[in-house]
Order: sequence, then structure tokens, then C-alpha cells
Amino acid sequence: MRRFLVAGAAVAIAGGLAACGTSSSSSGAPSGSGSTSTAVTSCTTSGIQHLLFKPGVLTVATDNPVYTPWFVNNTPKNGKGYESAVAYAVATQLGFSKSQVTWVHEPFNSVYSPGPKAFDFDINEVSFTPQRAQAVTFSNSYYPVQQSIVALKGSPITTAHSAAQLKTYLYGDQIGTTGLAYINADIQPAKQPKVFNTLALAASALEAHRIDALVTDTPTAQYMAAYQLKHAVLVAQFPTVGEHYGLVLAKGNQLATCVNQALATLSQNGTLASLRHKWLGVYLHFPTIKP
Amino acid sequence: MFAGGGARGTVISTASTVVVLAIFVLIFVLAPGARTVAHAFFYPHDMWQSFVGDPRKGYYSVGAAIWLNIRMFLAAEVLILPIALVIALIRQSTHPALFPIRVIATIYVDFFRGVPLLLVVLALGLGVPGLYLPVISHQPDAVYGVAALVISYSAYVSEVYRAGLNSVHRSQVAAARSLGLTQRTALRYVILPQAVRNIIPPLLNDFIALQKDTSLVGVLGVIEANQAANIYASTVFNYSSFTVAAILFLILTIPLARFTDRLIERDRRRRLAGVAT
Repeated sequence: MRRFLVAGAAVAIAGGLAACGTSSSSSGAPSGSGSTSTAVTSCTTSGIQHLLFKPGVLTVATDNPVYTPWFVNNTPKNGKGYESAVAYAVATQLGFSKSQVTWVHEPFNSVYSPGPKAFDFDINEVSFTPQRAQAVTFSNSYYPVQQSIVALKGSPITTAHSAAQLKTYLYGDQIGTTGLAYINADIQPAKQPKVFNTLALAASALEAHRIDALVTDTPTAQYMAAYQLKHAVLVAQFPTVGEHYGLVLAKGNQLATCVNQALATLSQNGTLASLRHKWLGVYLHFPTIKP
Repeated sequence: MFAGGGARGTVISTASTVVVLAIFVLIFVLAPGARTVAHAFFYPHDMWQSFVGDPRKGYYSVGAAIWLNIRMFLAAEVLILPIALVIALIRQSTHPALFPIRVIATIYVDFFRGVPLLLVVLALGLGVPGLYLPVISHQPDAVYGVAALVISYSAYVSEVYRAGLNSVHRSQVAAARSLGLTQRTALRYVILPQAVRNIIPPLLNDFIALQKDTSLVGVLGVIEANQAANIYASTVFNYSSFTVAAILFLILTIPLARFTDRLIERDRRRRLAGVAT
């Protein structure tokens, strides 16, 4: 009796799951690129009102806490730090004044949740990958990423980092970062890396000698080595693999077209370059090594 | 056990089960966002990818990672059972000389039942290696995780033991002593067997919770099932890996839950039989 009921329930649940599976397979087609191809009537301030989360204001999301040099003092609305400055520059291009920009807190894990988004775009060092682009829409690049190694001063990796030597260390990284993917795909270490929920936890593990090194984007790595961690040093950065950060929008949000236009203008008129120089400039002069 | 007796009961319970399940499935399928949610949580391709894993793409096998949860659970359980019993016996002791130890045991139980397990895991996993002690500071993270589980759950389980010890009537001790048994042998052969039988269901209940709480060790960077699922989700932007982890945890815990039910039922029948005859 009991066995029969359990079996019946299992069949019913399995049937439900199967139904979900088939119904979703058609919606799961990859979009292929970061930008939407759907045409938007006009990218004027009045033309994009119907695309906004809240008409009249541009709602920008990021995580909490956020770190230098991307933001300063964990205060996105102060306009300081590269990502805060880029967000305001995009807002200006779209015709919003500084007071018309609202910042909201969105944890990394819920940026890609299904359903309506409570923001217009999210800016939080999110790297574009084709797989991620199936769940959200990415803007074009606002920052080309290179990964760097952070280790404790005097530890073996600071001097011994040939391709073969790099494989012998125990790495740690933040969950879901492309740094972790880089470790596994390009360094291919012998020991399984440790994966932490936050970069701060990975940093504490480094300080406690639980990992030999961590890999993160160069500006973050430089900031950690120079200011956050007492005894750490940026060992070197890896050559680019074409990775870039993009703004994250709800899947299929046509605002992406206008955001991309804004980014293109900011790139052509040199604004992105000067913001990069202003906020990240001191962070970007390091030797490159090959994994 | 689920249904009332008889063929009619079977029909009614089957029908109501089907109706209830159908309602749930309908709500899920007819919801406006059903397709997106189904894609985000139940996409077979992502479920399979996260189950097998592919480190080159930045994520690990959830299926392989659950093995670490199982090992941590087994190691913790083996240690918790005797440690909790010792704590319970200390708290039940009456000898005046043991007073300071009783106080320590009481403080221990109060403290570790009150502090969130996650904080204990973090404190041990990040703090102990920082002490630079020989051997103790150089253990794998899973060891600190298991230590935190043992410390926290021993406090809970000692209270379960204590309830069990208290559930044995005082006349049992008196009878045992009057037969010439010492305090110790009375405890060993009369009190404990009865106490333990009473607390098997709540003990198993705690162990089901323990199986799930092994996932907290993931904060130390250990790749257990929950962490592997989280890595997949944040790498690929699809939550189907969480569904895989949930299914794996269910496969672990449901047999134990059913086993608990069966024990409770057997125990009840045995007691009722004792009353009837």
C-alpha cells in the first residue's frame, strides 16, 4: 500500500518534471551574443521610459559590500570608483541627471533569477560568457579583464611561477568568478582549488596560509595587495583571454540597445579610457606571465 | 500508515493524492513565468552538466561532491553519539565533587545550542589554522567542519540523551539497586537500555538535520554538494544544480526518515501489546 502510493507520487512528480523540461527547451535557445538585436524605437529619454523598472529614474543594482577600485567606501551613489563612474556616465548618455539615478542592492546570486528584475541594469564585475547570456542580457564591454595572482610576500609562488611550477600550488577563489574558471582551464593545477562564497573569505584563507594564492582581476588584485592585506603582493598578471565585464540586464530587455549605444559613445569620445585612467590607472602596470 | 484501513481507504487516499499533486503541478505549469522558472530550476541539460561537472569550465560535479557530505556526516555521527552521552551523564550526575564539571557541561550546552552552527564552522575553520599550532593547525578544512558539527550537535544530542534518562522511572533505579547492582551497573544494564530505546526517533531526527548541515562546511572553501551546486549556478547562471543537490540530499535523508517512522511504529506496537496482555 505504502509502496504503491510512493511509487504513484514519484510517477506524478516525474511527469511534472518531464513536462517542465519539454516546455522549457524551446525557450532555452542561446542568444549568442551579448547585445539584443531587437530594434528599439528611439533611445531618447522619453523613448525608453516604458522600458524602465521605474519610469523617470534609472535603477542601477550592485552587490553589498562593493570594493575599491570599482566603488569607493561601499557607497555606489558617490560617483567614485570605476563602476560607479561608468554607471553615471551611461545614465548621462541616456538623459538622466545624477539625482535621477537610484542604486539598489542585488546579491550576485539573484541577478540572474527568473522573473522580473527590480533594476534596469546591474554593474558588479560580471564577466560575459555565452552560457550566462542564456539567462540574462549583457551589454557590450565596459572593461577588458585580465586575471592576476595574489600571494603572501616571500611565499614560493612569488619567485617560482613558470608554467609547470604554477600547477603545483593550491589556489583559492571566489565562487562563480571567471578567475576560478581561469585557474581550472588555463593553469590546470594538480590540487583542486578551494572555492569561497566571498573574495573576503578567500583573502582570509590566504592570510591564514590555507591557500598558496588566489586569482582575481588585476585592479581587485592590486587593491588587495596594496591596501586590504598586510603581507600580500600581486605576483603577476596573465595575458588576456578576451574576457570582459558587461552590464547585466533582464533577458531580452531592449534597453540593452540604448545602453550599448551609450557605451559606444563613451568609448569613442574617450570617456571610458579617462575613467579607467582615473580610477584604475595606478593598478594596471604589472609583468605578464603565461600559465 | 498513510491511509485508513481497507480497500475503500486505499481508493480514497490514492484519489486524493492524485488530485493534490495535480493541483500543485497545474499551478506550476499555468503560472505566467512557468517556462522561465522551469528553465532556471529544472533544465535537464544543466541538471546533468552540474551532476557530472567539468572543472575546465569552472564547475565541479555535484554528484561527486555529495560523497564528501556523506563522509563528513558519518565521521561526525560516530563522534557525537559517545560525546553527547558523556555530557548528558555529567549533567545527570549528583556527586558533589563533580559540581564544577556539571557547571562546565551546562555552560557548554547552553553556549553551543545558542550559537549558530555557521559561526562555529567559520570560527574553527578560519581561527584554528591561524594559531599556527603543530598538527592541529594543519588539518584539511573538512576536519574543522566535522569538528564544528560535532561540537554543536553534541550539545543538542546530549539534551536528547538527558530527556531519555529522565524518562526512565526512578523506581527502576531503586529496583536495580535493591537487587544488589551498583550505581554503575544499574546505569549500564537497566537505565541506559531503556533510555536509548526511548530516544531513537529524536536521535535520528537530529541526524537527518546533521546530514543537511554538512552543507555549511562549504563556507570554508570545501567543495561539498551545496557549494558545488552554488558554483555551477553562479558560473552558468542557472539554478538547476540546486535541484540536483536537493534530490541527492533527499536520496540520503528519506530512507533515514522512513526508517525512523518504522522504528516509532514498532515501538508503539510493542508498548500497546504490553498494555493489552
